Amino acid sequence: MATQEAAAPAKQWRRRERGVTAALLSAPMLWLLLFFVAPVVYVASYSLGAIKLFPTDTGVISLDDWSRFLGGGSIYLGLFWKSVRMSLTVSVVVVLLAYPIGYFLALCVRKLKYVLLLVIIVPFLTSFLLRVLAWKVMLGDRGVVNSALVSLHVRPANDPIEWLLYSQFTVMLVLAYVWIPFVALPIFVSLDNLDRSLLEAASDLGASRIKTFLRVTLPLSLPGLIAAFVFVFIPTIGEFVTPLLVGGTSGYMYGNAIQDLFTRGLDWQSGSVLAMFLLLVVAGLMAIFGRFVQVRSVAAD
Amino acid sequence: MEIATSRGGRISLTVFFWLLVIFLYLPIVVLAVFSFNDGDPSFPLSGFTTHWYGDVVSNRVLVTALGRSAVVATISSLIAVTLGVLTSFALLRRRFRGKPVVSALVFSPLVIPYLVFGISLLLLFTLLDKVLTQSFGFYFGLGLHSVVIGHVVVALPYTILTILPLLERLSVSLDEAAKDLGASPRQTFRRVTLPLLTPALISAFLVAFTLSFDEFAIASFLAGTQQTWPVYLFAQLRVPSLLPQLIAVSSVVFIASMLLVLSAEIGRRLAERRYGRDFSARGLV
Repeated sequence: MATQEAAAPAKQWRRRERGVTAALLSAPMLWLLLFFVAPVVYVASYSLGAIKLFPTDTGVISLDDWSRFLGGGSIYLGLFWKSVRMSLTVSVVVVLLAYPIGYFLALCVRKLKYVLLLVIIVPFLTSFLLRVLAWKVMLGDRGVVNSALVSLHVRPANDPIEWLLYSQFTVMLVLAYVWIPFVALPIFVSLDNLDRSLLEAASDLGASRIKTFLRVTLPLSLPGLIAAFVFVFIPTIGEFVTPLLVGGTSGYMYGNAIQDLFTRGLDWQSGSVLAMFLLLVVAGLMAIFGRFVQVRSVAAD
Repeated sequence: MEIATSRGGRISLTVFFWLLVIFLYLPIVVLAVFSFNDGDPSFPLSGFTTHWYGDVVSNRVLVTALGRSAVVATISSLIAVTLGVLTSFALLRRRFRGKPVVSALVFSPLVIPYLVFGISLLLLFTLLDKVLTQSFGFYFGLGLHSVVIGHVVVALPYTILTILPLLERLSVSLDEAAKDLGASPRQTFRRVTLPLLTPALISAFLVAFTLSFDEFAIASFLAGTQQTWPVYLFAQLRVPSLLPQLIAVSSVVFIASMLLVLSAEIGRRLAERRYGRDFSARGLV
């Protein structure tokens, strides 16, 4: 068999090799093209009016919906910036809280570091909806916190702390809660891969701990930090479930507007514009920060 | 001298770590406690009961929803793992032009907002139905099959990320040895590569399963009338009398998924240890 192969012209061999690659990739690529690329392209063209789906659709290509969305005084654009502000706040808080955790696990703990890392990450791997539900139970007017305060006679029974639930604050609290475990991971990985001898060198050269941190550790862990930031910002900017459950009217976000346009308002064309805009923002963020985001660091190593 | 922290710094970091652990686990523990509380989920606790768990079993709609999610999760994970194995082999063992494009494509579902993806599929299926019913009288519709299609796409990158590291450590020389001993490519795959890869396949399946079982955003647009468990849970959250029951199921699902994930993680680590610690980080991804 081996001699046959050697005797066969290189061209034929190469063709066979290409055939194997094609056989491996055809099914996954077909699936993604049909059910991932095609729908996104479809939404993009629908947002431009290129497709007539309902009798009310014009079927004429125009930028009307886009210019209405991007024009001054558009409520949706305002809502978008509100969501950006909320997501930015959440991302910053989460990274600030997760950094010490990553630092502690990577540089201060020896034997148990992977076990403790798992302790932090496990909540992330369980149901998102349930974690949000848990907070709803915690923070409601008759929820855990308020009823506990009443039982302890800290507050009168008919005067619960109302802003605990259904506020912008609650949405941000719950989002931070949800994302901390996830973000600890890339930060941990970047600090754990740090060459310890660099720290020793800095110390030998007379740098204080703070100086070593600011001039060596922090700059070297910056890629992990940026990755962590992007990993929170991207999903939270498109968030709609958490605001629905704990946000009330003041916690309403951009994602809720998209969902409402599709499920209640039934203005799918405007909804498509909003959705495509969100996708473009995410793509832009990935284009800028993508090189910091090592996909591998997600795979719990 | 300890360079990373001073003594005081170390102590405060330890305290901070455990405070954060409490913050992360407290709501979950509270939820579990209230699932045994004979009354509304609020203080003071009014007595121990297990009847919420009994109510769950007799709640037909709820059990159906759980069953649907199990079916969707099983089917979508099987497909995702199969596609994931194929892609992993291509990315790691084959040379071809356009590898960066393929790699970008398979990993981009990691960052697409599920909301956007969900409505994209909703629009696609709506168009498909319009075309299909007009020309062939065939109705594709929304339902569990649509959810499966969406979940395969979002689970695929996770399965690849689980399979790649192990595949990377499986030496190609094992395949070559099998070949030299006269095994056909198919035999080599079935008798050498696949058994060695099994731990990664199992944990990839579990990762995909848990992802799908609890995915809400995509399912909420595509499930139609066949509510999956998260969609059902979400819809019922507005009914206060059902809350204790929902908390009870949630606790069970919670513990089950935690055990699943933990066993997947431990299994994967054991397997990786067995194949040696040769970290050959190749710049693929």
